[in-house]
Amino acid sequence: MNGQSDGNVIRASSISKRFGDVLAVDGVSFEVRRGETYGLLGPNGAGKTTTMRMVSGLSPLTDGELTVAGIDVSRQGREVRNVLGVVTQQDGLDTDLNARDNLITYGFIAGLSRVQAEKRADAVLMYFDLTDKAKEEIDNLSGGMKRRLAIARAFMAKPQVIVLDEPTTGLDPQGRNGVWQELETMKQAGVTVLMSTHYMDEAAALCDRLAIMHHGKILTEGTPDQLVIRHAGSEVAQVRVSNGARQDVVNWIDKAGFDYRESGAVITVSAHNGDRPDLSGLEGVRISYRPSNLEDVFLSMAGRKLTDE
Amino acid sequence: MVALHSPYFAGVRLRSIAGIWFRHALVLKHTWLPSITWYFVEPFVALLAIGLGIGALVDDVDGLPYAQFVTPGIIAGSAMFHAIFECSWGAFFRIQKGMYETTMTAPVSTRELAMGDISWAMSRAVITGFCIGTVAAILGWIDTISGVGVLLAAALIGMQFGALGLIFAALSPNVHILSLTFTVVATPLYFFSGAFFPISVLPDWVEPIAWAAPLTPAVHLARGFVTGDLMLTHLFSALYVLAITAVLFPIAAVLLHRRLVK
Repeated sequence: MNGQSDGNVIRASSISKRFGDVLAVDGVSFEVRRGETYGLLGPNGAGKTTTMRMVSGLSPLTDGELTVAGIDVSRQGREVRNVLGVVTQQDGLDTDLNARDNLITYGFIAGLSRVQAEKRADAVLMYFDLTDKAKEEIDNLSGGMKRRLAIARAFMAKPQVIVLDEPTTGLDPQGRNGVWQELETMKQAGVTVLMSTHYMDEAAALCDRLAIMHHGKILTEGTPDQLVIRHAGSEVAQVRVSNGARQDVVNWIDKAGFDYRESGAVITVSAHNGDRPDLSGLEGVRISYRPSNLEDVFLSMAGRKLTDE
Repeated sequence: MVALHSPYFAGVRLRSIAGIWFRHALVLKHTWLPSITWYFVEPFVALLAIGLGIGALVDDVDGLPYAQFVTPGIIAGSAMFHAIFECSWGAFFRIQKGMYETTMTAPVSTRELAMGDISWAMSRAVITGFCIGTVAAILGWIDTISGVGVLLAAALIGMQFGALGLIFAALSPNVHILSLTFTVVATPLYFFSGAFFPISVLPDWVEPIAWAAPLTPAVHLARGFVTGDLMLTHLFSALYVLAITAVLFPIAAVLLHRRLVK
């Protein structure tokens, strides 16, 4: 058993996944430390879900090495699921059973005794603030409650790591907030989490470290703050231009060597040196500055990547 | 981890199967009232109508009053419909709703998923057989000893058609294709299984086809327990059902794996 002593619970080394002609995950490496929340951030089709399914032992690797709690996923894909609590993108709740019975049946299938499963279900329902929904049919629960129940289910067998695929996709703001609160509580309790998301604010709020994925590759990795400073600087400039002046302004920014992206009438500009871009030579436009965020990192990285192709 | 140690079942985790069976049993416990119509009322109405109605028109068949002749046939048919419904329609929706995927996030293999569902298909077949058999016994159309034998046949039917149902669930891209399970497979099999008339009355060229159809030997076996004169043909029938299951099950497991593990 390796991988335990150095504090890394998940170790992925150059893992790849091929579906026919498509290389969905292309040589991805990352490590998740015990107790941290690690995020895979990227747009749909970036390879996040496939990566998480490989980690969960639900999708065989095409290439690479992957261990979870010292277990080699390629050889013992099923054993991996003894130490993981997996929440798939589709909640996958059993609509023929009420909330509590969903937890009990899952716990029993996962290996708890009937009595253990019942006790654990009640404890988990309380922890996730769902006790008053115990007898509720699944179809009567809101989207946010279903999601929380699906996360609660992943806790039934006391896993070492929780794998969460897009925990808040498709939820309304209220449901999203509820899930965030649960995840924050989990974090405080020291639970190790591997999650994916395409929401920049979610990644910034919940993840200790994250990797930005695009076209099956990890473009960059670090803490949210590190990534912002490294790739977008402390502040970005927002330049508002009229259509007539646009080309001149773009030429000027290009020549000055800044990263930029155009969205509507606004050109967002960032510097490479970690500072805010100096646009003092640019005249006849309205310039405002705001603190950089992960979205700036992602768009500048993904944008540069796309032009490379 | 508890595992069975014959090559056919190598590495099978028993808890997976028990857990899936428990899930299905729990659903039945919660839905027993509407389920009675499925397990009991519908097949019982068929038994009553055919046994009394057609029974009044025809003389003994194969040495049995018609109601007694048709009872094991109706039980076998109901066993088949329950098993094939659970494993085609039921399993299809469990695939669609991501419920199988959830089950597999526990340490469960696709083969164990298939075994779990088939174990429940067998249980459903036996439960419906028991319900109908009890009433038939009260009516004097079947005796207890024969009834036990018919339930054994029902379990075999459940296993066989559970495996067949899973194949359809794993292959069907949508419910329209899935419904062919009933229109093209189950219903024709039922009518040509010998449940309602002896296969021997069919034209010569149809007879071998009818015998090869998977439900026919099971009906023959079930009826053997009712007539009481079990012969070698009944043993062959049981072996035939087992052989079909032994072929269908690995196919079902592989197709389910392809559908779920990508």
